[in-house]
Amino acid sequence: MSRRSLRDWLAGRDKRPLAVSVTALLLAAAIPSLAPASADQPRAAAETSKPAFSETRTIDRTFVNADGSVTPVLTKDVTVTADQTENLRGRQRILISWKGAQPSGGRATNPYGDTGMAQEYPVMILQCRGTDDPKAPATQRLSPSTCFTASVAERSQIARGAAESTWLADRYNTAADRQRLSGVDPFPNPATCPGADVPDSATHLTPFVAVGSNAKTYASCNADQMPPEAAVGAAFPPAEIAAFTDLDGTGQVQFEVRSDVENESLGCNDKVRCSVVVIPILGLSCDKPSVPSTTLDRSCRKGGRFPAGSSNFAGQGVDQAVSPALWWSESNWRNRFTIPITFGLPPNTCDLLDPRPPTGFYGSELLAQAGLQWAPAYCLRKDRFKFQLNQTSDVAGWNLMLKNEAAAAEVSSARDSVGAKVGYAPTAVTGFAVGYAIDKPDNAGEFTNLRLNARLLAKLYTQSYVGSALGQGHPGLAKNPLGLMNDPEFQRLNPGLSTISQEAGATVLSLSNDSDVLQQLTSYIAEDPDARAFIAGKPDPWGMVVNPSYKDVSIPTEGWPLLDTYIPKTEDPCRQANPGIYFNQLAAPVTTLAKIATVVLDAWPNVQTRCDKDQGTGLFKLGRIDRQNFGSRFVLGIVSLGDADRYGLRTAALQTKPGTFVAPSDASMAAALRLTRQKQENGPFVLDQADVRKSASAYPGTMVVYTAAKISGAVPADAKKVAQFIRVSTTEGQRPGNGNGQLPGGFLPIVDSGATRPLFRSAQRVAQLVAEQKADPTTDGGGSDGTGGTDSSGGLPPGGGTAGGGTLPTGGGAGAAPGGVAAPAGGASGGPSTGASTAPGGGTAPVAMPATQAVGSRTAGGLLPSLLILGLIGIAVASGVRFFVQPTRPASPGAAGR
Amino acid sequence: MSAPTLDPAVGPVPEQPQQPGEGFVETPRAGSRRAGLGERLRGSLDRRMTAPPAPVNPADEPAFLVSSAFTMIAIVCLWGLLQLLVLSDLSQARAQDLLYRDFRQQVAAGTASLGPTTPVDQPVALLRIPRLNLEQTVVEGTASGDTQLGPGHQRTTVLPGQLGTSVVMGRAATYGAPFARIADLRVGDSIQAITGQGTTQFKVIGIRRAGDPLPQPRPADAARLTLVSAEGSGFLAALRPSDAVYVDAQAAKAFPAPAGVPSVLPESEQVMQGSTSGLPLLALCLALLLAATLGVAAARQRWSAALVWVVAAPVVLALSWVTTDVAARLLPNVM
Repeated sequence: MSRRSLRDWLAGRDKRPLAVSVTALLLAAAIPSLAPASADQPRAAAETSKPAFSETRTIDRTFVNADGSVTPVLTKDVTVTADQTENLRGRQRILISWKGAQPSGGRATNPYGDTGMAQEYPVMILQCRGTDDPKAPATQRLSPSTCFTASVAERSQIARGAAESTWLADRYNTAADRQRLSGVDPFPNPATCPGADVPDSATHLTPFVAVGSNAKTYASCNADQMPPEAAVGAAFPPAEIAAFTDLDGTGQVQFEVRSDVENESLGCNDKVRCSVVVIPILGLSCDKPSVPSTTLDRSCRKGGRFPAGSSNFAGQGVDQAVSPALWWSESNWRNRFTIPITFGLPPNTCDLLDPRPPTGFYGSELLAQAGLQWAPAYCLRKDRFKFQLNQTSDVAGWNLMLKNEAAAAEVSSARDSVGAKVGYAPTAVTGFAVGYAIDKPDNAGEFTNLRLNARLLAKLYTQSYVGSALGQGHPGLAKNPLGLMNDPEFQRLNPGLSTISQEAGATVLSLSNDSDVLQQLTSYIAEDPDARAFIAGKPDPWGMVVNPSYKDVSIPTEGWPLLDTYIPKTEDPCRQANPGIYFNQLAAPVTTLAKIATVVLDAWPNVQTRCDKDQGTGLFKLGRIDRQNFGSRFVLGIVSLGDADRYGLRTAALQTKPGTFVAPSDASMAAALRLTRQKQENGPFVLDQADVRKSASAYPGTMVVYTAAKISGAVPADAKKVAQFIRVSTTEGQRPGNGNGQLPGGFLPIVDSGATRPLFRSAQRVAQLVAEQKADPTTDGGGSDGTGGTDSSGGLPPGGGTAGGGTLPTGGGAGAAPGGVAAPAGGASGGPSTGASTAPGGGTAPVAMPATQAVGSRTAGGLLPSLLILGLIGIAVASGVRFFVQPTRPASPGAAGR
Repeated sequence: MSAPTLDPAVGPVPEQPQQPGEGFVETPRAGSRRAGLGERLRGSLDRRMTAPPAPVNPADEPAFLVSSAFTMIAIVCLWGLLQLLVLSDLSQARAQDLLYRDFRQQVAAGTASLGPTTPVDQPVALLRIPRLNLEQTVVEGTASGDTQLGPGHQRTTVLPGQLGTSVVMGRAATYGAPFARIADLRVGDSIQAITGQGTTQFKVIGIRRAGDPLPQPRPADAARLTLVSAEGSGFLAALRPSDAVYVDAQAAKAFPAPAGVPSVLPESEQVMQGSTSGLPLLALCLALLLAATLGVAAARQRWSAALVWVVAAPVVLALSWVTTDVAARLLPNVM
């Protein structure tokens, strides 16, 4: 009945409008779907579209039966992807993810290093020297013996009984590897490897072939026969990991790569090819059993004693056949995914390859990661100067620049120029973040969306958390929570975290010296009424009060003072021998952001409250507490966005509007830039935190790093270099990427469009002013002009006439730039002789020219297609509406026929 | 035949002339114009206005409103597209004809401008690119309105062929799209520029996009010419000229350049910039369009549809054409 009425209804209608509508809609839909993704955000596109590495393979585990037939036990289609593989730097973390793997069981508390061996069906990830490229020479191929592990237990099985020597039954292992003693040929003598050769037990050693100054083959049968980097308590924690696969077969981990700076024996650098090897453990494939089957045969066929998804916190024994300990055994090794990686130039490239004296730029550490990538783009080119970024506090760099002892300063805020004329050229948009490493309870993985507000930061900075029972004796603080994790305000923002207190939860590691970072951070706190009220002495809604030593502390401030004086009264003989201000031991600020990044990366808080007795001297000493255990990490620190990106640190979202939390990203930094105001020409762009508090999208930690240089009275030779630096760094240096001279992650590219356009323009203007400044009357004016023609190549293109052409077509900055440059172009006929004398002739060697600036317009690109789509949608809707509300006519054959 | 009067009530949509008794058929039936006025007013005028006639089912009223609004959106968008892609070609071709005639005469008479203070929109050079089969008269000025006429010469540079670097910007997708294919040029291709001083043969020395290094410094006695346009990428690339592209060409011999080239380029004349100077004119044009619409509405009450169509259509078309031209000045100059 209903179908019939629908047919009648349709029959009574003219269908032409519907046809028009559908056609128009289809056309409109076809246009955007055919158009490729916009190229406006190359980085974002690159991240989302295609990972740097992706491979899918079918891997399996099989048993050979007694009758010789083969039974497949497990078959998995595994896909492994990695987010970046090229130009890596030491300790950089790359995101490796996989799907389709066998779900793991018996999850370890700490999957790194030897503690990760007691798991079942994990995914073993190691860094190895060499590649799997079949065309590479044998010396550059990888094998288990070029894969680094931090302990013997991860690579060798020593004197194992029948149940624990399942590799002997691995059907893929060579005959040599199935001997009782195998791995190293000839097998080391008992003097080298005591205990390795025990009757009735099997031993397999996976030697390690080291390069560098320790180049030799380590037998890996005990801690003495391991490379120095694998020593107990080595400088860096283990990087190799037996990672956990979730029940749906997926998993991901941030894998830390080591260059030859961190691990010389492994020896990966820009010349030595290396790989990250990912081995999804499916268990050994077992050979034909003997009849009757032996313990060995049965052990090899075991499938795990822990159910998928379970935990093994006690570190109980696991079935060796499905554990990661036998990653080297051919059944597992043949299932490997090899991710080739390359390393960038080492940080000392410029010192080694360029004998010229460096020109120092002094100041902000925020620029550190960019400086590392930029420097080789200068020193490896003879036509550019040798750029060196020296990290100092902003004010120290500034003062050096004012005294003409530094070519330029890298600063992030306006400063008193004491009468000198200084231009601020925006060089990088980056910022700070609260980096953290926090684990969810019950080994549920890392916590990834920390949210903080200004009052929580104020509580941390004012040392109002008491840390432990020692701090509870502090006058006036008896009722305060021990640490962040016990603070109801924190718990409300970040539910589901462990509330077991740790001393590290009472502090956020910060800088001890003056810095623009602290200035901005404290002004963010100062702009928040709740935080201000807290510092003024008003308890928070849960009754927590400010540390009286910091009541009414003056903020914003450039350097954070340590004001507390409380020394705990205790019976502890160690503390009695070393009386110290407890809260300062908790805070223990350091001098550089890089150190803080390392602290967060290693989850090793810089809390100096460990007090123990030195057995040698019998004296008591204070020191740093232990590294936190994986699974119960809780450490916070102020890091730069550049460091956070390189090391893959998590960064907290900060509250802006009440209830709105903004995490650092390109978009939120751009939103913050839109709030900045340049109060004077060539001055800095000031971000008022009061504006940020009204915004729903601006990240409060956004900072612009300026190259501040004198635009009058600078040393002429320096001025040219500074102008060159500004021009190169704001054009070529803003291309995102991890190659030489490119902009690393954590920085928002400054381009001549969008939110960064005013910055770009300002930078070009300052570069112009710096380059063209009149020399001081006291210095020889002719000197700077004389050298200009030949030396200023990369900066101001030589020759007036050329300069006009050189800068103008780039558009963008041209508005300001040609002001001084184009004039000589017009005057060329009046002074062709000057042009000829200063410009190198056409026959001389090529001169490095600055890059063409990107000039684009979304309007130009999007208008015509948008008009087309809108027009078609208009037609579609109009005719669609007309179809549905057209007059219903009696359903006659004639009407239907029309 | 009482049906026709009821028919509009249920069929208010204008473009349905197939229905019996609607539209033009109505006029002879009325016999006397005056007598039929009231009827027509309801029957015809209301059908063409957005307000639905009285007998319409009130529930359908919003639907008619939506339908009319989207029809208008479609008309405005597609008209803009038509104008930018098709009609603007016509007006540019006409402008080129006139400019060529003027310039030819000026060169013959020796009165062609040698810069640097030519009034904008005056012809300053003739540009020939054999590979692209292109001949265009270059006008002075690179604002969006100037490049509607032809490739524009950037006012802060010398003229093509003079000692120094000359910059000429041309459109890539609209208004004849003279520079649509400059990125197809190859190194060594010749570009001929004729000015009042004579003919200069340039050789292309490179194509540049964002990030490519600028060309080497110009030899002291050479003339250089930089053509600027835009290009898109991917599907419909020709319609999406989003990124600037530069072609550098050089000639070993140059004519002397007069002094006094201005040093500051207004923002509206820089690459990819639109010009807001046409906004007052745009306001005027829009007001005229509005007046024309009201006029048509009023005329339909008095005269027959055919008559109004004949009189109003050219006026409205011309007004729309001018309005869109003025609005297009807001768009980037090399689009």
